[in-house]
Amino acid sequence: MALILAFAFAAVGNVMLLPVLGMVALAVLALSGAAVGVVLRRLRGAGVLALGVVLILPFVTGDQVLWQFGPLRWHAEGLAAGLLIGGRLLAIVTVTLAFLTPLPPFRLVAGARALGVPTLMADLALLTLRYLDELRAELARAMLARRLRGGKGGWRGLSDYGVILAAVLIRSHRRAERLWAAMRLRGYGAGVAQSLPPLAARARWGMVLVAAGGVALVLLDRAI
Amino acid sequence: MHLPDGIVPVEFALAGYAASGVLTALALSQLNRQPDPRAAIPRAAMLTTVFFAAALVAIPVPPTSVHLMLSGLMGVMLGWFAMPAIMVGLFLQAVLFGHGGLTTLGLNGVIVGLPALLAFGFWQLAGRRWPDMAALVAGSGAVVLGLAVFAAIVLAGLPVALDSGAESLAIRAFLLAHLPLVLAEGVIVLALMRVLRRVEPGLVPHV
Repeated sequence: MALILAFAFAAVGNVMLLPVLGMVALAVLALSGAAVGVVLRRLRGAGVLALGVVLILPFVTGDQVLWQFGPLRWHAEGLAAGLLIGGRLLAIVTVTLAFLTPLPPFRLVAGARALGVPTLMADLALLTLRYLDELRAELARAMLARRLRGGKGGWRGLSDYGVILAAVLIRSHRRAERLWAAMRLRGYGAGVAQSLPPLAARARWGMVLVAAGGVALVLLDRAI
Repeated sequence: MHLPDGIVPVEFALAGYAASGVLTALALSQLNRQPDPRAAIPRAAMLTTVFFAAALVAIPVPPTSVHLMLSGLMGVMLGWFAMPAIMVGLFLQAVLFGHGGLTTLGLNGVIVGLPALLAFGFWQLAGRRWPDMAALVAGSGAVVLGLAVFAAIVLAGLPVALDSGAESLAIRAFLLAHLPLVLAEGVIVLALMRVLRRVEPGLVPHV
């Protein structure tokens, strides 16, 4: 559903429809049950990017001058393009986070598998998630140890990062060998990732509704 | 260097999904020719995790700090596995950390994955004879190629055309801003491959 709405939002090319995008995104956020604080925190990066686009594009594109200060000119076409890009960005990220934040990662991978993602990639995703926190901590420890030992800074220290990455890669490879042996012993064969059970009738209707809303939004955009 | 949602028209996003789908299908078909493709999954997952974690760390490169892309290294180390690993990494980054986007996942897959596959091809050609040069070129060259594809997509996808002066200025500023990343990745990949060749040659293809 997130993907359908995200693509419908991405298809909008008329700046007049931005308030509709905003309202739909907020409605999805309210109905999804996602923690609003978490979503807002994760939206910060997208918000900064959207603001940057809205502020910079009017300076570099367009003909109709809205405001001028010395050689700097703010153009109407650039402002419209900036608002469109920034608005789409915020709306898409909001619905993505609203739908996906409440889901535990393994359900996310199971959902991807139900959408036809090959077993090999689903297993790759699950095992990557399994070791991500551990390896991030290991990498952070190695970086801290390097700093405490008085490692060189700037350009002269770059090769040290290569050495740290090599050490983490070697340890990870050995761990992967042990993991593979353990998986074989446990009878690994049909894949680690589980498929989701068939969708309930309510979820099916929800998908139909979202798809119809997305098509209506695109048709409205083309009609204006 | 990920393309966020909403920047490019939906036609571009769909074309990106098609292109990365073709590249991933090609990679999977090559992997399925191996006697036991599943045997490589834990190793590929571990390497994907390392690359994923490393890309989240900011490395100080005066006058700025950079986040590594590591697509050249992924291509060299993972071969055909690089493409599915990159798609998985980009999906998780978009969903868990908000880096990149869901609609632009396909385009980002092309931006990072295509250079990785080309780096793999280059390593196959030159890695045995000139390993240092091949590592440097794979590391830096993959970033240059990724930047070129990224810039081309953004410029072609803007809803309004930039005037030629602004476009030329934007391209120059973009390339200058990423020069530290190009050089840093080359140096890091070179140092890493040297260590692996000495300490764990079994991990380096061809050696």
